[in-house]
Amino acid sequence: MNESYKVISSSILFWFSQKKWFVYSVLVSIFLLNLSTPVGLTVAAYHSLIILLLVFMLVTFEPIPFPAIALLTLVLQVVLGVAPPNVVASSFMNDAVLFVMGSLMFAIAIVHQGLDIRLAKLIIKIFGKSKRLFLAGLMTISAILSSFLGEHTVIAIMLPIGLSVIKNIDTQQSDGKNAVLLTLFSIAYGTIIGSIGTPSGGARNVIMINYLQEFSNVSIDYWKWMKHAYPILIIQLIVAYYVLQFTFPSSLNNIKMRGFKKNIGKTDVKKNINHLFSCLIIIGIIFSWFTFNDIYGLGIIALAGALTFMIFGMISWEEINKNTNWGVILLFAATISLGFQINETGASSWLVMKFNELLATLPSNSMNVSWSIMAVLSGLTANFFTSSATVSLIGPMAIELHPTDISFALSSAIASGFSFLTVISSPTAMILYSTGLVSTKMFFRVGILMFCISIIILYLMSQFYWVTL
Amino acid sequence: MKILIAIGGREFSKPTLDLGMKIANSFKSSTTIAYVGKKISQFSEKDVSVVHQNLDNRELYRPGIRTLEWAYDFLISKKYIEEKDSNKFNDYLLVDEENSRMKVLLKGQQSDKIDLIMRTGEIIEQLKNEVETNKHDITIIGGGGNKGIHQKLVQFIDSSVFVVKNYSVNKKYRILVPVNESKGSDMAIETAINFAKSYKLDVEIVSVPEGKKSIKEVEKILLKTKDKFSKNKIKASTKLISGSAVNSIVNHAKDDSIVILGVSPKNPIMKYFFGSKPLSIAQKCNCPVLITK
Repeated sequence: MNESYKVISSSILFWFSQKKWFVYSVLVSIFLLNLSTPVGLTVAAYHSLIILLLVFMLVTFEPIPFPAIALLTLVLQVVLGVAPPNVVASSFMNDAVLFVMGSLMFAIAIVHQGLDIRLAKLIIKIFGKSKRLFLAGLMTISAILSSFLGEHTVIAIMLPIGLSVIKNIDTQQSDGKNAVLLTLFSIAYGTIIGSIGTPSGGARNVIMINYLQEFSNVSIDYWKWMKHAYPILIIQLIVAYYVLQFTFPSSLNNIKMRGFKKNIGKTDVKKNINHLFSCLIIIGIIFSWFTFNDIYGLGIIALAGALTFMIFGMISWEEINKNTNWGVILLFAATISLGFQINETGASSWLVMKFNELLATLPSNSMNVSWSIMAVLSGLTANFFTSSATVSLIGPMAIELHPTDISFALSSAIASGFSFLTVISSPTAMILYSTGLVSTKMFFRVGILMFCISIIILYLMSQFYWVTL
Repeated sequence: MKILIAIGGREFSKPTLDLGMKIANSFKSSTTIAYVGKKISQFSEKDVSVVHQNLDNRELYRPGIRTLEWAYDFLISKKYIEEKDSNKFNDYLLVDEENSRMKVLLKGQQSDKIDLIMRTGEIIEQLKNEVETNKHDITIIGGGGNKGIHQKLVQFIDSSVFVVKNYSVNKKYRILVPVNESKGSDMAIETAINFAKSYKLDVEIVSVPEGKKSIKEVEKILLKTKDKFSKNKIKASTKLISGSAVNSIVNHAKDDSIVILGVSPKNPIMKYFFGSKPLSIAQKCNCPVLITK
């Protein structure tokens, strides 16, 4: 057989085996485009829903790079007549996108300062009386920091502390293995739970705030979000502590709370000043989020944080550029733009109408049923699709369900933060998985219990606490 | 000659490493031991990279390094590497190379005969990149896990593929070489000669009459092959077996066989969708199988 034919056909087959989900997604989209537009939908709205499905498939299976998915989303919106070029371009950039960009850069700048050493010392000082208290402290500090600085910042700081204390544990024995898992899950669950606490805890929160402002003219400030979400965070933390202690029973004998000390040199004066200044910048940014977010927006304030670190030479642009996930920023910008078009074209109203028609066929049709379906759907989708992308695409529908009742929108955003089921759902879960110490099965087994309990807590709080606010 | 040994979990990789190093020694080839880390979602790849850098800065092992350290210690314990004070694993440097490849440099390592590398991502893509970039001749991988991986490796990787299945370090093995008149068979025979010579293993040459081929023709191939082994002073026997090629070779191969056979000359598209005989043999045999290219 001709050698060049073999090489070419082999290359094509390899491309197909790597990109088969791209081919399937395109074929499904072409098939749907050739069907007649459903009754009640405009052509533009129908096409926006086809793009939504295409993006869901491509982001879930990742056959092509995220920047390519982002560009494809923008190109298709114009080519398929969903919106004119200028409208697509203007919906591409807003405060939520600036927040994603700013928070990613800000996180890199913070992690670069090496604050984990100081934080570890602080945790030992406050919670060092017993090993169990120490783990509770790791979880609590992770949650508090994550609620303000976001998951990706906190897990990067806390994981080295966690791995230091479990460094020499023999994982062949069940007691040792449980101690390792208990430590890692304490940090991970603290970080995940914390991210629902404030708007800056996760991009999904800011995206939902933005949608509420745009679609329902409802404004939610930093305080208001915290008043709704922080009590849920506290209850979840207590539950998670006991769930983990129950799942991973261990004597904790092998945990060495001061293990991290062996890994660090003595801090010098320059480092001390750097750390002090870093803390001042962080406090300044959090304070600004509290007080000035109405005027400047969360995104601009996050960008200001990264900017300050750069101006004072505490991190170089090269370092930020190298470690910033530009693909994710582009993807969020594109999905938010698509989210706006889904709302503008009336596609979200149509979906909600169909959803309500479906609910009407159920024996007990009430607000509670639609809330439950929406919350569980948001939570589950986020676990297979990541939380921020879920909110940027499902958010308009959640708001449309009850435009004047913020509990639907808030619940959708908060439930999207329950990334307990899969390792792809959040940076925390993926980082934990990348250590090779936690398997996907293990993550799911522990997470399913936490996910169900979290949905129940969210339901109870929305029914009995939020109504009092 | 260059050999690539892909390792995963520690206990499962012992036979792969041991047999891989035996083959490397028999060919006097340079060896790369590769650990391919879990594929990271694009959402989190930068976050994971920042955390791993942070672990390096804190002198905490990043994922994968412990497995490579274990592999290195295993090679020392089996005397594949000479133990010296200067080449201890605890003093290492990670060099970030292009395309998700990281090389482990040990402070006292003088020889470039054995390289330790880490890669992150989808295993087939990573091993294909590694083979293409560094021109490896044989890729050695464990027989456990997903069988689809072996099919894709044989299909897409531009090197011979050795699937190490059910290999025991202390067992005395014999080489089983299924032959026909194809080019692939000639390469398999050459490889088998080198391996049998180095480790003084007995060889059994088998052939299955298929299609229009007469028994006489097949016997002629067997004798011609036996001559090649005899010229190299290797004890070889021949056997003509009947039935379907795949099933009869699989039934004939025992736990103490190492099967060495050539790649199928079939069209790549047909192979992808319908498989091939060497691939079916590799999947069904409960012993190590080397498919030469």
